[in-house]
Amino acid sequence: MKKILFIILSLALFTACERKIDEFAATANGLDFSNFVSVGNSMVAGYADGAIYMSGQENSIPNIMAEQFQYVGGGAFRQPMIGTEDGVGFQAIPGGIYCFTKMGLKIVPDKDCEGKLVGTASLKPGFVSNPDQATLLQQLFAPPTVTGPYNNMGVPGLQLQAAFFPGYAFYNPFFARMATAAASSSVIGDAMAQKPTFFMMWLGDNDALSSALAGTDLLLTPADTFAKYYPMATGALLASGKSPKGVVATIPDVTTIPFFTTISKALPWNGVTLTAEQAAGLNTLYTMYQHPEIVWKAGQNPFVYVKNDGSWAQMQAGDLFLLTLPTDSVKCKGMGIADQSITPIPRPYPIPGKFVLDGAEQAKIKVAIDQYNVIIKGTATAQNLAVADMNTYLKSFATGMVFDGIKVSTTFVTGGLFSTDGVHLNPRGCSIAANYMIQAINSKYGSNIPQANVTSYLGLVFP
Amino acid sequence: MRRFTTLLLFISLAATTAFGGGYQVSLHSMRNIGMGLIGTSLSYDASSLFYNPGGAAFVNEKWSFSGGVSFLMARTTFQPTNGMEQGHLEHKLNTPLYFYAAFKPTANLSIGIAVNTPYGNGLSWGENWQGRYLIQDLSFRAFTFQPTVSYKFKDIVGIGVGLVYAYGSVDMNKAIPLQGAFGDGTLNINGSTGKFGFNAGIMVHPVKGLSLGLDYRSKIEMSVKGANADFTVPLSLSAMFPDNKVDVMLPLPGNLDFGASYEFGKNKQWMVGMNLCYVFWNTYDSLVFNFETKTSAVGRTATPALYESKLITRVGAQYKMSELLTIRLGGYYDPTPVKDDYLNPQTPSMNQIGMTCGISLYPTKGLSIDAAFLYIMGMKRTGTFAPDNFAGTYSTAVYSPGIGLTYNF
Repeated sequence: MKKILFIILSLALFTACERKIDEFAATANGLDFSNFVSVGNSMVAGYADGAIYMSGQENSIPNIMAEQFQYVGGGAFRQPMIGTEDGVGFQAIPGGIYCFTKMGLKIVPDKDCEGKLVGTASLKPGFVSNPDQATLLQQLFAPPTVTGPYNNMGVPGLQLQAAFFPGYAFYNPFFARMATAAASSSVIGDAMAQKPTFFMMWLGDNDALSSALAGTDLLLTPADTFAKYYPMATGALLASGKSPKGVVATIPDVTTIPFFTTISKALPWNGVTLTAEQAAGLNTLYTMYQHPEIVWKAGQNPFVYVKNDGSWAQMQAGDLFLLTLPTDSVKCKGMGIADQSITPIPRPYPIPGKFVLDGAEQAKIKVAIDQYNVIIKGTATAQNLAVADMNTYLKSFATGMVFDGIKVSTTFVTGGLFSTDGVHLNPRGCSIAANYMIQAINSKYGSNIPQANVTSYLGLVFP
Repeated sequence: MRRFTTLLLFISLAATTAFGGGYQVSLHSMRNIGMGLIGTSLSYDASSLFYNPGGAAFVNEKWSFSGGVSFLMARTTFQPTNGMEQGHLEHKLNTPLYFYAAFKPTANLSIGIAVNTPYGNGLSWGENWQGRYLIQDLSFRAFTFQPTVSYKFKDIVGIGVGLVYAYGSVDMNKAIPLQGAFGDGTLNINGSTGKFGFNAGIMVHPVKGLSLGLDYRSKIEMSVKGANADFTVPLSLSAMFPDNKVDVMLPLPGNLDFGASYEFGKNKQWMVGMNLCYVFWNTYDSLVFNFETKTSAVGRTATPALYESKLITRVGAQYKMSELLTIRLGGYYDPTPVKDDYLNPQTPSMNQIGMTCGISLYPTKGLSIDAAFLYIMGMKRTGTFAPDNFAGTYSTAVYSPGIGLTYNF
C-alpha cells in the first residue's frame, strides 16, 4: 500500500507543473516604443467622471497602450499624476473658474414637485465629495506627483489650433500643471522636445464637441483651419528627431455619445399634453409676451426652446436634449412651457438653448466632424500613419458589443462604456479604445502587439 | 433514509472532471481502463452490469464484486487569442468511483447493482481570471445507481436491462460584470435532483473465443427544479437581481456502444478487443437557466452548446502472464463534440488521444488487485465561445492512476 501511495505521490509531483502554452508571438516589427508620447485632449489625458483623478489617469488610453507596449520593448510612460483620487474638474465662470470633484453613481431618493419623498430611489451621478474651493484649487495647481517630461501630453479642453499656442498654460490650468515653461510652452512644442519614437494623437474632438456640448454650432472650428493645422501637428511630431511612427484617431459623432442621446430617450421632444382650454390660455400668454409665433393646440405639443439667434421655436423630431438639462425644472416648474411659479400670471419659459441641440445644429456639427475625419484619414495616408477610426468603431456599440462575456453599449450608465459624465470613457471603455488603437497599429505596421485584458479594467462602480 | 443521505454525502465528496470529449466520464473499472476503456463485449466480472447488462449472465462465478477509484489530475492552461495573460485550471484531485455487485441465483440468471459516475465536470479557473464572467468554478456530478437483471440463453446469447437512477448535483460560480465597492457581482447556483433512465444490452458468443456486444444507455434529462440562485450585486442593483430559485436543464447524453473481442492462445492467454461508442451529444443543444423571479435583468437564459454526436474508437488487449499476473494495454480516440465557435471554458473540450495500461495481481483465487494508468496526451485547441466573444487557446493534459479490487467466487 505504501508503495502505491508513493507512486501516486510522485505522479502528483510530476504533474504539478502547468501546461506550457506560447501561442502569442509579440513582435514590434521594427517599431520603436522606447519613448512613446501621446497628444490630445481629455480622452487622452484620462479625464473621466467630470474630472481628472488618479485612477482615471492610470487607466488612460495611452497608459493602457504603454502597458501593452512593454511586451515589445516599450519604455516608461510618465503622466502628470494629480495627487487626488476624488479629483478636480472645473468650469469657467465670470472672473475665474469653479472647481468640483469627480462624480460617482449615487442612490438618490425620488421626490415629487413639492419636495416630498415618494418612496422610490434613482441611480444618479453626483460629486463624490465637497471640499472647499481653496482645497480644490490647491490640488489643481499643485505640481504633479510624478516629475516631467510627460509622455502623456493629453490636455483636457485642448483644441487643434491651441496645441500650437506658446503660453497656452495661461488659458488652461490643466496644461499649466505640465508645461515645461508656463510663459512660452506649447503642447506640440513640449511633445516634440521629447523626441518621441512612437506617438499617438487623438486631437480635434473639441473642435466640434465643445460646440456641441454647449448646445450650439457657433463654436465649430472651420474645416480649412482644421485642414491647415492637423497635418502640421502630426508633421511636427514626425519631424521631432527620431523619425517616429504613430497612430491617429478619428472624431466620434455626437450620436455615439450618451451626453447627447440619453435624456431624449426618456423625454420626448413633444412631451407637452394640453387640453383645448390650456392651449388657448398659453396662446394668450405667448401673444402677451410678444411671441405669437408659438402656437399651442389641444393634444401633444413640442417644448419651446431658445435658438442660437435668440428667437424662440418649438422643438422638432430629432432635436436632442443634453444631459445637463434640468429635468426637475421641466417636470415641476414648467420649463419649456410656462413658469407656473410666477403669479398671478405665469411667464413663458423656453428651454435655454444650451440644453438643446436642434436638428440644424446637429447637421452642421455632423458636416464638420465628417470633414475633420476626412482630413485625419487623408493626413494618415499621406504621412504613413496608422489610423483608428473611432467614429465608426463607437457607432458599432449602439446596439452593444461583447468582450469576454461583458456586454457594453453606448447607453448611459447601463451600457458600461462611458463614465458618469456621459462624454468620457470609463476604464473599461478606455481599455477597449486602447485595444482598437493597438489593432490599428498592428494592421498598419505588421506588428503583433498584445491587447489589454478588458476584464481587468473597472466599468462603472455602482453604490 | 438517514443511511442513504450519509451515503450521498460520502460519494458527493468524490468529484469528477471533464476530460472526455464533453462531460462524460469513462473510468468505470480498472480492468477496462487498462485496455483502452473497452468493455461492451467483456464479461469478466460484475462491471458488465454497467458496460453491457447482457454480459453479466456470462460471469462464471456465483458472486462477483468489483470496486475502485481513479485519481484524476487535469492540467489546462488558457491563453487569450489577442493577449498575454494566461489562465490556469486550479490543481484538483478528482476521484471518480465505481462499485459493482452481481449474484447468480441460477446458472443463467444474474442480478446486481452498479454504482458509478458516468457524467461529471469539476473545474475551477479561479475568481479573477479573464473568463470569470463565463465561469469561475463548476462542480457538476452525476452518480448512477443501476439495479440490473441479466439472462443468458445457453452460452450463446445474453440479454440484460438495468433501471438507472441518476442523482445529479450542480454547484457553480460565475462573476457578473457589474461592479460595486467590493468588485464584481457574483452568482452562485446550487441544487440537486434525481432522474431515471435505463441501460440495456445484448451479448453474443457466436464462435469459440469471439464475443460481440451491443449496449444502449439512455439519455437522462437532468433538470434541476428550484436550485438555489444567490446573487451578490451592489445595493443599488439588488432589486434587479433578487435571490432566487432557478430551474437548470442539462441532458446526460445517450450512448450506443458496440464491442468485439477475441480470446486466443493457450488457456486463452490473449485477448484483443475494440469498442465503437456513439455518443448522442446532439441532445445537448443548450444549457438552460430559468429563474423563478423574473426581472429586467434576470429571466430565462439558454447558453448555446450545439454539441455534435461523435463516435469514440477504442482498442485494447490483455495478456495473462501467469496465474498471478495479467497485464493490459490500450488506447482510444475521443473526438470533441464541441464546435470551434462554441468552445466554452465551462467544458474546454478537445479531440483526445488516450493511452492506458494496467495490471491485475491475483494473491488468492478469485481476488484480484487491479491497477490502471490513463494518460491523455497534451493537446491544444483554439476556439471562441462566440456568444460571449471569448477567444483563446487551451492546452490540456490528463493523468489518471487508479486502483481497485475484484472478487469473484
